[in-house]
Amino acid sequence: MTESPLVELDGVGVRIGSTQILRDVDLEVDAGEVVGLFGANGAGKTTALRLMATLIRPAQGTGRVLGADLTSPERYDVRRRIGMIGHTPGIFPELTLVENLLYAARVAGVPSERAGEALSAVGLGGAADRLAGASSHGMQRRTEFARELMIDRSLLLLDEPHSALDRDAVDLVEGLIARTAAEGGAVVVVSHDRDRINKIASRTVELAGGTLS
Amino acid sequence: MTTGFWHQVSAVVHRDLLRERRRGDVLWITIPFGAIALLLIPLAVGTDAILLRQIGPGMYWVIVMLFGVLVSVGKASNETLPQQDASALLGLDPAAGFVGRATSATLLLLIFEVVVGVVAVGLYDVSIIGIPWLIVTLIIVAIGLALLGTLTGSIVNSTSAGTALVPLLVAPLSVPLLLGATQSYEGLRLGHSILSWVLLMVAVVLIVAIIGVLTARPLQET
Amino acid sequence: MQAQTRNRQWPWVAIGLSLAVAFTLSMVSPADSVQGDLVRIMYVHVPAAWLAYLAFFVTFVGSVGYLTTKDLRWDRIAAASAEIGVYFTGLAIALGMIWAKPTWGVWWTWDARLTLTAIMFFVYLGYLALRRTTDDPVIRAGRSSVLGVLGALQIPLVHFSVVWWRTLHQPPSLVRPDGPAIQDPLMLTALIVGVLAFTIVYGSLMVKRIELIKLDDQKAAIEQSIERPVAGEAVTVPDLGASS
Repeated sequence: MTESPLVELDGVGVRIGSTQILRDVDLEVDAGEVVGLFGANGAGKTTALRLMATLIRPAQGTGRVLGADLTSPERYDVRRRIGMIGHTPGIFPELTLVENLLYAARVAGVPSERAGEALSAVGLGGAADRLAGASSHGMQRRTEFARELMIDRSLLLLDEPHSALDRDAVDLVEGLIARTAAEGGAVVVVSHDRDRINKIASRTVELAGGTLS
Repeated sequence: MTTGFWHQVSAVVHRDLLRERRRGDVLWITIPFGAIALLLIPLAVGTDAILLRQIGPGMYWVIVMLFGVLVSVGKASNETLPQQDASALLGLDPAAGFVGRATSATLLLLIFEVVVGVVAVGLYDVSIIGIPWLIVTLIIVAIGLALLGTLTGSIVNSTSAGTALVPLLVAPLSVPLLLGATQSYEGLRLGHSILSWVLLMVAVVLIVAIIGVLTARPLQET
Repeated sequence: MQAQTRNRQWPWVAIGLSLAVAFTLSMVSPADSVQGDLVRIMYVHVPAAWLAYLAFFVTFVGSVGYLTTKDLRWDRIAAASAEIGVYFTGLAIALGMIWAKPTWGVWWTWDARLTLTAIMFFVYLGYLALRRTTDDPVIRAGRSSVLGVLGALQIPLVHFSVVWWRTLHQPPSLVRPDGPAIQDPLMLTALIVGVLAFTIVYGSLMVKRIELIKLDDQKAAIEQSIERPVAGEAVTVPDLGASS
């Protein structure tokens, strides 16, 4: 199974219900790349990330992610290697921060010790037993970074990773991005902060009119 | 692969039970709701002790069917889209997710059945007979109802009606469970064999479980 | 052009002709010695009940077909059949109640077949309610076909449970181990013709309904293919000068 490019979209269109969100999107992301994705509000950036995460089927065109066709059952097998941090946290507010990570570790088949280690690595070792729902947005984001640190991902999809983060956390995200790229993975970062992205990205693309340029 | 599957199932069960423990939806909302329903019925139909003893078991099972289904549509059993996405990207097998959610719903339904059952015995003076078979019936009904609620919950997942549709879909399909449970009690009281009723309820459980596992992937499509 | 028009009209012609024949026969057949003219309700009630079962079976077949082939044509068959089935189930129940009041003295009686029919009505009402909640044809097809299979596989179990629970109803009027109970040949003919006529009505309505669903899908596809602005283009650069 040849995997490079890690993401390969060819004339992909995405529809949600009867609304066309993306059209004719062509994109290739190679191993080691960090791609910045810009676009106005509602341009379809989040949909593009969910598409690359194999969570949405393309309505038109063909796409492969980590070698798996986006419409075939193969995509279930590569999902564990795709990390995504959306702008609404995908963690359970009724669980503590460490319980959220323990759940992730058990489902992903990662040793449970790594949950505590990852939480310490993102500087939340002291807040492990705090309920996620009672934690600030920034702490919830850090918990999601801890999850991505804990599980080795080949493709990392980040939606506005810099929002709600303090300086230390920003360093953390950029460290995670650099590490994933250095280990032969790839990262796609959605952002409005062009200056910051221009510094870390190997190239940038613009999403407008439902398509990339 | 199979150990991974059961590992994932246990992770989902643990997650859902923790969520319910912290939220308390079943304990503080669904169970009191079921109990007050049992309190309302005599106010409407009359408080004659003989009548209540007669209708008690049936009323209990109707309450279990109608209100029990709320256990599987509760907040603790449902995930937001980002939560579903995150679980999917952990490599959660959709079938393991289904089995896990149905298992935690079963455990919560058993608690519901026991607490509401105590209320029914207290208010209606229902006599408890054939305890081993009664336990078997309670367990099968809990599993069957949990499976039906979880499966229809996945069917309506991310549709515009949301979980509001679940009780309408579950109620007619739970008829064999309702009749199985009430007739088993009747059979035990009259000293008849209830094996055929038990087998019928087991058949419901098997059919729903098989459909749920086989369709877990297609139902995850959004 | 002419042929196409005729092609589109034939279901209506078939419905009209078969119902006319069935109606005539049901009117010329003799009144029942016990039930009198009330027996004529049977000529609609029995065929409607038969259609209900036929329609729900076809919904099951369509659902299985969709789940195994992922071809939307199966889903259209399932959807059209469920709609027709719910209508005829409602009709059968309503006629049954109208017949029951003068005959049995009650609108409703808790016999096995009546109860089963009422439960089926609600199962497929739920199926139609589910279909209304999703716009995307592929997702709608996936979800409703699972419910179509679940509902159909549960029905035999519902059937057994209610039959064991109680059987009060008159034995089935047409098919019996010892031959048809209806002795009068004209009554029997009227009933059989009625069943055939209703089956033709079902087939014709199916053709029309599937055609309609297909047109709906085509309309959606055309709307999609024309260059419409994507969702994001509704958001434009703010122009604060515009308001002053």
